[in-house]
Amino acid sequence: MDLTFTDEQVMLRDSLGKYLERNYDFETRRAVVAASGGHDPKIWADLAEMGLMALTLPEDRGGLGGSVVDLVAVAEVMGAKLLAEPWLPALPGALALAHGGAGEGGAAALAAFAEGGAPIAFAHEEGRALAEPARVAMTATRKGGELILSGAKRYVVAAEIATHLVVSARVSGAPGARAGIVVALVARDAPGVTLDAYDTVDGRRGANIRFEAVRVPAADVLADEDAGCDLLNAALAPTVLALCADAVGAMGALVKITARYAADRKQFGVPIGSFQALRHRIADMAMAHQKARSTLIVTTAMAEAGACAPRDLRLLKAQVGRMGREVGESAVQVHGGVGMTDELSVGHYFKRLLAMDAIYGAGRLHFRAIGAAA
Amino acid sequence: MNLEMGEALEAFRAEVIAFLDANVTPDLVEAGAKTTSVFAPFEQAMRWQGILAARGWAAPNWPVEHGGAGWSAEQADVFAQECERRGLPPLLPHNLKMIGPLLIDLGTPEQKAKYLPGILSGEDFWCQGYSEPNSGSDLASLRCMAVSDGDDYLITGQKIWTTYAHHANRMFLLVRTSTEGKKQQGITFLLLDSMDLPGLTVKKTIGLDGFPEQCEVFFDAVRVPKANRVGAENDGWSVAKHLLKYERGGGSPGPALRRRLAALREAAARADDGMGGVIADDPAFQERLGMLEADVISVDYHFRHARGGGEPAHDPAYPSMMKTLSSETSQALSAMMIEVAGLEGLPRQLDALAVGANSGPLSDGFDMVAMPYYLNTRAASIYAGSNEIQRDLIARIVIPA
Repeated sequence: MDLTFTDEQVMLRDSLGKYLERNYDFETRRAVVAASGGHDPKIWADLAEMGLMALTLPEDRGGLGGSVVDLVAVAEVMGAKLLAEPWLPALPGALALAHGGAGEGGAAALAAFAEGGAPIAFAHEEGRALAEPARVAMTATRKGGELILSGAKRYVVAAEIATHLVVSARVSGAPGARAGIVVALVARDAPGVTLDAYDTVDGRRGANIRFEAVRVPAADVLADEDAGCDLLNAALAPTVLALCADAVGAMGALVKITARYAADRKQFGVPIGSFQALRHRIADMAMAHQKARSTLIVTTAMAEAGACAPRDLRLLKAQVGRMGREVGESAVQVHGGVGMTDELSVGHYFKRLLAMDAIYGAGRLHFRAIGAAA
Repeated sequence: MNLEMGEALEAFRAEVIAFLDANVTPDLVEAGAKTTSVFAPFEQAMRWQGILAARGWAAPNWPVEHGGAGWSAEQADVFAQECERRGLPPLLPHNLKMIGPLLIDLGTPEQKAKYLPGILSGEDFWCQGYSEPNSGSDLASLRCMAVSDGDDYLITGQKIWTTYAHHANRMFLLVRTSTEGKKQQGITFLLLDSMDLPGLTVKKTIGLDGFPEQCEVFFDAVRVPKANRVGAENDGWSVAKHLLKYERGGGSPGPALRRRLAALREAAARADDGMGGVIADDPAFQERLGMLEADVISVDYHFRHARGGGEPAHDPAYPSMMKTLSSETSQALSAMMIEVAGLEGLPRQLDALAVGANSGPLSDGFDMVAMPYYLNTRAASIYAGSNEIQRDLIARIVIPA
């Protein structure tokens, strides 16, 4: 058993970390978030230059053929540095394109993304978040060789800057049924696609999207009703691992920042970190981080070995979300009043963790599913 | 990252299964089912250790030259899984995870030759004499005195919370050999060759669960040769700290926790919820059970992460974290056990809990075990350095000075 990163992975982590250290301090991030919803073309291009867009795409699709471990290795660094670029939100769309039956248009969009072009937005979430792909409810109908999409998707991150959306929809069956789900590639400016965009709490740009009789040619159907659910799972599994790695990175940063603050901040003439109540709270933060991180690392190794079931991912996602909120709340509390302000990174890390917990199904749903069946 | 899988591992599993098929007897399984503590029933636990030792599997993690099995981490997992599947009792940690590894690291060649065979085979059982009535979390304040008398020490004083001292035939203990300087500086680590030495008295303490798991041990000028000292005189604190590394972070809590979790799940599926259904179908219960399982898995994975060479293996806070997380997870599990047992957890069934008892449980085995396990497990956050002490230690590492 080896649960360490390889030398190559360590080098990639180091070079990404150094790049962000030099080019992406907290004030730069604030400026990028304020000016352009978290996306700066220069930084995006630099990330692509490092191979991060192509990282886990298959080699025959212009990718580097990296593993989920590679993905986790870099995502943790991005979380630690609070990277707002939509690298992670673009991941599931790109993976669906890479592993689905994309036609010419899809192949071109993917190739462009791999080289630092527009992200592929993933239009999948519905309602209060889908705890599993089989819950997809938005409808699609077949007409001739085409697919007609009608309905709505929510929280589609980076949709405004995307040229293409990967959309999940249901041609048959009820929400919960694995069969009947299709996955389609849709041009963002296709007739009938309407974006209602907004800033998200964690410094990105999201959109609710309406689809009104949007026509999808057969060549842009990435998976038909027998394969849709599997394709979504194939795209989401690495994404959930990366999302959890990002959150674990953010938690680690919060533990460090908070411990440092407790050592420096003085009240009653002594560092507040000398008070046992705060010391124990910080010890709990450190333990929550370690719990989350070890769950991430072992689950990642299982995924790499092909031995990670959907239930294992549920457990990881829910546990990291729960630990993340615990760490975030404690970080704000230890910082006191200043932790409540927009000026400090603490609150921004916290909100990133809250966003992570809310997407792809809240912890409550996953915990309940785990409790309901062994 | 790499997890070993495949045919070689499955061949090993077949070997383990064949061994268990040939050697597991009903009384061992009964002892496993009636384990209401981290410490299994003594007689069966030691018999099982003897069987494993004969096969070379009693202390798989020890260095091979001292009787370790040289297993990979995956092989150790397979072995633990198969033992867990049959509900076998855990081995007692004192010999195999405490004094054995300590002597391998710090014992003299004579001590190793004399003691390690009996430690491994289970012919001897060692109890641990650390705590004293006025020295619990503040262990270094201990006052049990050892006075030099030629080639011997004469020990006078008292130990408390000495697990299974009434079963033990040997003891390792901390004594005070000097009152000069800092309290940590005058402590010495000694080995007792017998529990029947003149001047030595063992008195059982009945716990909340009704069992005499713990003991008090009284010393009145008990004579111990100086050759039985581990480390230098007055340097016992560093010896003890070395051992604490094994005690706090030593074994995987995963298998035992997973087995109890499975039993909890099964019990909830048949337990009347008082509202016309069973507890297992209650969504609120399901959510909490899911969280509990996640915590069990996280503790298990934290252990594996360290064993697989990841960052926790080099984290000085790891032993304290592991101790805190595993004890609090077992407490949360035990609380859900008595919740599911409900009224059926209230009858005190000490006779039926004995291995080989003539009487069976009043309702079922789960209900019988739930309350004593819950009560006993309150100790998990107290012993081996209370969890408050552990959090202090973690904070000292995490918060910059």
